[in-house]
Amino acid sequence: MNCLLPTDFDRHDDVIVGVIANPASGRDIRRLTAKASVFTAAEKANMVQRLLGPFGALGVDRVMIMPDSSGIAATVERSAQINRSRGESVWPLIEQVKMKSTGGVEDSQNAARIMRDAGARAIVVLGGDGTHRVIAKVVPELPMATLSTGTNNVFPDWREATVTGIATALHVTGRIDPSITLRRNKQLRVNLGEYTDIALVDVCVTRLTHVGARAVWDPDTIAELFVAFAEPDAIGLSSIAAMINPLTRDEPRGLCLRCGTEGRRVLAAIAPGVLETVVIDHCEIMQPGVRYAIRTERGSIALDGEREIEFHRGQVPRVTLELNGPPTLDVSSTLAAAARLGVMATPCAREMLR
Amino acid sequence: MNTELNRESLLKAYRMMRTIREFEERVHTDFATGEIPGFVHLYAGEEASATGVCMHLSGNDYIASTHRGHGHCIAKGVDPAGMMAEIWGKETGTCKGKGGSMHIADLSKGMLGANGIVGGGGPLICGTALAAKLRGDKTVGVCFFGDGASNQGTILEAMNLATVWNLPAIFVAENNGYAETTSPNYSVACENIADRAAAFGMPGVIVDGFDFFAVYEAAGEAVKRAREGGGPTLIEVKVSRYYGHFEGDQQKYRAEGEVQKLRNEKDCLMQFRRHVTADGDISAAELDAIDAEVLAMIDDSVVRAKADPKPGPEELLTDVYVSY
Repeated sequence: MNCLLPTDFDRHDDVIVGVIANPASGRDIRRLTAKASVFTAAEKANMVQRLLGPFGALGVDRVMIMPDSSGIAATVERSAQINRSRGESVWPLIEQVKMKSTGGVEDSQNAARIMRDAGARAIVVLGGDGTHRVIAKVVPELPMATLSTGTNNVFPDWREATVTGIATALHVTGRIDPSITLRRNKQLRVNLGEYTDIALVDVCVTRLTHVGARAVWDPDTIAELFVAFAEPDAIGLSSIAAMINPLTRDEPRGLCLRCGTEGRRVLAAIAPGVLETVVIDHCEIMQPGVRYAIRTERGSIALDGEREIEFHRGQVPRVTLELNGPPTLDVSSTLAAAARLGVMATPCAREMLR
Repeated sequence: MNTELNRESLLKAYRMMRTIREFEERVHTDFATGEIPGFVHLYAGEEASATGVCMHLSGNDYIASTHRGHGHCIAKGVDPAGMMAEIWGKETGTCKGKGGSMHIADLSKGMLGANGIVGGGGPLICGTALAAKLRGDKTVGVCFFGDGASNQGTILEAMNLATVWNLPAIFVAENNGYAETTSPNYSVACENIADRAAAFGMPGVIVDGFDFFAVYEAAGEAVKRAREGGGPTLIEVKVSRYYGHFEGDQQKYRAEGEVQKLRNEKDCLMQFRRHVTADGDISAAELDAIDAEVLAMIDDSVVRAKADPKPGPEELLTDVYVSY
């Protein structure tokens, strides 16, 4: 290991970081109905490699990466071998998780469980809102460092992977206190009888009775919308709420909107490149812990933009805002603290301004 | 686009999928007797793909199919009785009994043919799509192909050409997990065939091929885009087949219980039936009645096919080459 900073941090065990690059993110119908971005496997592999320099330089010992058949993990492993053979590597040890790939969402979930059980201190996730959601479901307390390679990318950071790599390494090596590095997110829980699921950004009730191609792109099909947060500079369904009542990720409340034919007309970017008008006739603040009944008689429920649940007459799904959602890495706060504390500078350099 | 189907359309979709399934199950059974000549490659399990796409097409639109073409033929409106006679090699067949399973074609229905050439449909569809564009008649061409064909130069060249000429073409990659016996994990240099669309400058989307509604929605958007002059689209339908590459395939490359699990948990007809009956819009009895009608129709088509004459020796050299 060629750590470029003093290694005077907690080293009881190897410092392990998991990396899950979802090869299927950013492939849904919104490539067709909108102009959603396409992240190629090659770019995802590049992003993972841009994490590894900071990891190695800042004391991460091992990186566990999810295997895939699109060549992301294989490309990274090959690059690591080349670097080692040239004797110029400061990358940590790279290992592919030993698991059977199915090509489905369960791959990300299985990999996350294995990483957690192996002692990973954080997982870097490359995906969209949906990828982060399915991982948060199975390892709710394992911090995620988020990188956007999906469609709307409301939940994950839009950020250069190198910077995320630095912040992740500073967190997992304990150089910056977790009270600074981590943010506790809200989440929305949907209950339908025995069935339960979560969303990290929004729950959209549609009048479409089938999950079909999953995405929601026709505003006329939207019946109700619940959001955990609503940022005006985001796209996707939460942007509808944001144009009525912006809500930060830290406020202990959510928002419930019901659509109609008469009410407030809201123009919002519901998909990449797509501005649509939605008519809202009811809006109320969601209080945490309160179960809000869905009023639509039947339809489907989209979690973070993808229809996942069908419900029928006589069934009343309920949505609850929870404040104990998954922890994520706050890259800005972490690096601000690193600068403030001089973590990335030698003592001599720190004296320069005096 | 409103993707909610009315009652009539839902019943039509169910009948189409049930007809394909019943047709294939019967061919599977009868082929084992040794009476059917040639090779057959069955489409059972993939019904939602052909149906979800072809529900958006009119008689003036064209499709090109594969060696596994029965489902595409039925979904495009080719007469199942004529197809059955064709497979039995009888003169009443769609192609007078001279084509057999792998060459069923009916131009009057816009069906350019099943195709023994893997990846052979792409250039054909570029031709019909170019004609449609020149005529300006808003018709489209759909090329069905498999995961094996996705590696063929013809398909890649066709996708390139379709983008260069901005053709009203839809490429439907039915990824059933095996190119004959080879998994795409061994032979396709990307996780998803749809990933390749970006390289050709067209949208590429992935849908669950066991879910009729998923295919129907994606195909609807792609067809609409093509008719409006938006150009080609690649749809990857993730699906599986219930039988071997060909009838007689021992399928030793498949896990034990794989097909039964799919039939039990993902079957497109099972999912469709559960969905449309959940709210009482359509009753199970109505669907049962369709099942019975389809079964009777297939029974009748087999009886007729068996009884019909074979083409005579004087037919040997007719219809073989096109005369201009």
